[in-house]
Formats: sequence, C-alpha cells, structure tokens
Amino acid sequence: MIGIVVVSHSPALARAAVDLALEMVGDTPPQIAIAAGAGEGITGTDAVKVAEAIDEVASGDGVLVFMDLGSAVLSGTMATEFMTTTDEVRLTDAPFVEGLIAGIVLANAGASLDEVAREARVAMGPKQSQLADQGDTPAAADTAAASTSAATSVSAEDPAEVTAEAPLINPDGLHSRPAAAIVQALAGVDAKVTISDVTSGKGPVAANSLIGIMSLGATKDHVVKFTATGASARQAVDTLLTMTGEGFGELAS
Amino acid sequence: MSTSTITLDQLIAWLSRFRDLVTEKQSYLTELDSAIGDADHGSNMTRGMNAVIEKIGAAPATAADELLKSVGMTLVTSVGGASGPLYGTLFLRMGVNAGPVTELDGAAFGAALRAGLEGVVARGKAEAGDKTMFDAISPALDAWDAAVADGSDLSAAASAALAAAEKGRDATEPLVARKGRASYLGERSTGHLDPGATSSTLLFQALVDTVTN
Repeated sequence: MIGIVVVSHSPALARAAVDLALEMVGDTPPQIAIAAGAGEGITGTDAVKVAEAIDEVASGDGVLVFMDLGSAVLSGTMATEFMTTTDEVRLTDAPFVEGLIAGIVLANAGASLDEVAREARVAMGPKQSQLADQGDTPAAADTAAASTSAATSVSAEDPAEVTAEAPLINPDGLHSRPAAAIVQALAGVDAKVTISDVTSGKGPVAANSLIGIMSLGATKDHVVKFTATGASARQAVDTLLTMTGEGFGELAS
Repeated sequence: MSTSTITLDQLIAWLSRFRDLVTEKQSYLTELDSAIGDADHGSNMTRGMNAVIEKIGAAPATAADELLKSVGMTLVTSVGGASGPLYGTLFLRMGVNAGPVTELDGAAFGAALRAGLEGVVARGKAEAGDKTMFDAISPALDAWDAAVADGSDLSAAASAALAAAEKGRDATEPLVARKGRASYLGERSTGHLDPGATSSTLLFQALVDTVTN
C-alpha cells in the first residue's frame, strides 16, 4: 500500500483533513504521516519534518505528498532532497481536502501510486459539476472528462460482461460515503467494474474511483447500472446490488 | 587593497551582522509583509537567524562549507515560512560551492553566493521582475562580480553590491507579485516593497559592515 504525507502550515488543519478522510475508510487505513507547523506552535512548514514523514510512511509502494500552499510546496520539493527512502515520491497539486479524501480512499483499496495520484488530481470534479450552472467553474469540463476517461473501457459485446441495474433507495444517493464504500468493497476483487446513471445518462465511470462515482451526481430514485468483466465479475456485481439494495446502510431503521 | 579575502571569522561576522539587522528591522519587514503577505517575515527571519547564531556558537565550524550548510539547515527547520526553504537553499548551495576552505577571495565569494541564488531560482522558479528576493540579490551579485573583476577591494565591491541591491529592492515597489502569497493579491500587490527583496538587501548591508573596517 502506498504511503501518504500531509504537509500543512497548521497541524490542526492537517489533522482535521486527515480525520475527515479517515471517516471514509475502514479500520486499517493506509500509512499517513503529517508534517505540519514549524514547531512550538508556529504556523509554517519544515522541509526536514516533511522528509522524516516521507521516510516514515515509505514501504516500497511509493509515497504521495499532499500540500496546502506556499511554503508547504517549497518544503515538499526540498524534502525530496533530504529524504533517505528510495521509494518513488510524488508531490501532488491535488486540492488539499478533496484530493486527500479521494486519495486516502483509493490508497486504502490498495491502488498504485499512479492510480491514487490520478484520482486525487481530478478530485475537484464532483464539486465543479455540481456547481457548473453557477458559471464560475472554468475547469469543470476538463475534470469531468478526466474522471470519465479513468473509466475502464468495456466492450458492449464482451461475452464475459455482467451487468445489472438497480434504483438508489438511500436518501442521498451516491454521495461520498456510499462511493467510498463501493471503492472499498471492490478492493482486491478481480473485476473491472463501471457504473453509470441510467436515469441521467451520465457515465460510465470506473467503480474504483471515488471521484468518478461522485461525479455521476446520482441521487435517490435514479437507476444505476453496474457493468463488470473479469474472473470475479459476477461477484462484484452481486456485491454492488446487495449494497445498493441495502441503501448502503443508510436507510432509517 | 585593504582586504582581499573573506575569512571564516568574517563569514560568521557577516551572518551575525545579518541577524542584528533583521532583528533591528523586524517590525519593518513584518509591516511590509502584512501589506502583501502573511505578516510574518520579520519574526520568521529573526527567529531563523537567532537559531543560526546559536547553532554557530554551540558547534563552531572549521570550514566555509560546513558553516554555510549548517546555516542553511538551521533556517530550513526554524523559519517556518517560505523564507525557510528559500534562504535555506541559498546558504546550502553557497556552502556546497564554497567547499571545505577557510577563506574565500572576492571571486570565490561571489561564485558561491551566485550558486546559492541559482538554487533559490530552481526552488522558487522566480525570474527577474517577479517581485522577489531575486530582484535584489541578482543585481547585487552582478555589481560585486564587476567590481571584483575590476580589481576593487572587497569594501568597494560590497558597497557597489549594496547600492545595486537597494536599487533592485526599490524597483520591486511598482511590480505585481508573481510568486508566493503576494501573488494572490495580483494588482493589489503593487505600491509595496517586496519583503524578501528588502531582507536580502540586508545581506549586503551586513557585508559592507563586515568587510569595511
């Protein structure tokens, strides 16, 4: 599993962002290290601390570094000169909160450094498409395209393809928590799965992408379609049908 | 020629004088930074340079590279703001270029500081006119090198460098910041001196005070 480093001017900000992301994952989160503040309660960043954090979480699969702004970026780049690990370390320009959440969820599902980095960078997509009609979201189209392109391309005539449709019955549809649950449930399952919103015509998006799923904006009563290929395609689709049928555990008891 | 080399002791005196100057100008630097940044440049630089002088006192260096690298690392870990990695890089690279020597002639000092500046540029991606420390240091180094090449003594070279740094610093006032926190202000960053260009001008004031005795 990749390691994640969170660099912020403020320890409180970093801690809160990580806690928010951890609400989305289970009991065995990926290795996360925070390098925030300049010590003694001073707001700022310290390249040496960032390097130590990178070394702490490096375990052979690579490290993704999230930074808030300004000197955090300078300290992040400088830290790559001080670290001792030979792991691949990547500094991401992903949005701090959204990227961290998307990244931690996907990292927790065992995704590679490349996959997590890509997911984190398009993490603004759902917010941008939600606010697209506000006329102030210049990159909305780009990121929407990016998350769609992350979808696995599946031939419609593939004989091994398993598909199923189901309505969303939980009150908030495929918002962040169900999306994270889907990514989590498919971790380690040998299948390539996509999801589309039949009602709105959006998708397909890769089902291992928190951001992709959220970008569907699929709300209650929309019918979603799961399409899977691979050795465990049937199992994957059944799992998703069960989760959908149970309202992702969000139905009032 | 009154002075032709800068000894290890003079390097330490230079750093110590720089500490005194940033301490003296702490409120002013912070005031400049409050106009276009996050109002911590004076306190960050003072804290960083105090840590540097304390470190030098606790573990005296025996060569220029050792001294300057220690200065750089101390700034990286004690400043907090962007000046930490930027000034840290300046001194780290300066130390690498200076090498394990106990004194530097004018050309070697200029070359070392220029290597430091190149490190800063690589780190911060700043160019001339971006309203950064580069705008003071770069012309100062050009003036220093030219004076040294003309056979001026170090005191005259330092004075020429300071004059060029001050001119470069003053020229940042009408500029629109393109780097750092100030860049978020866009056009509103004009009409203010750049705090980094102002603090780095003090490096050359400190140099004048050190080599002119």
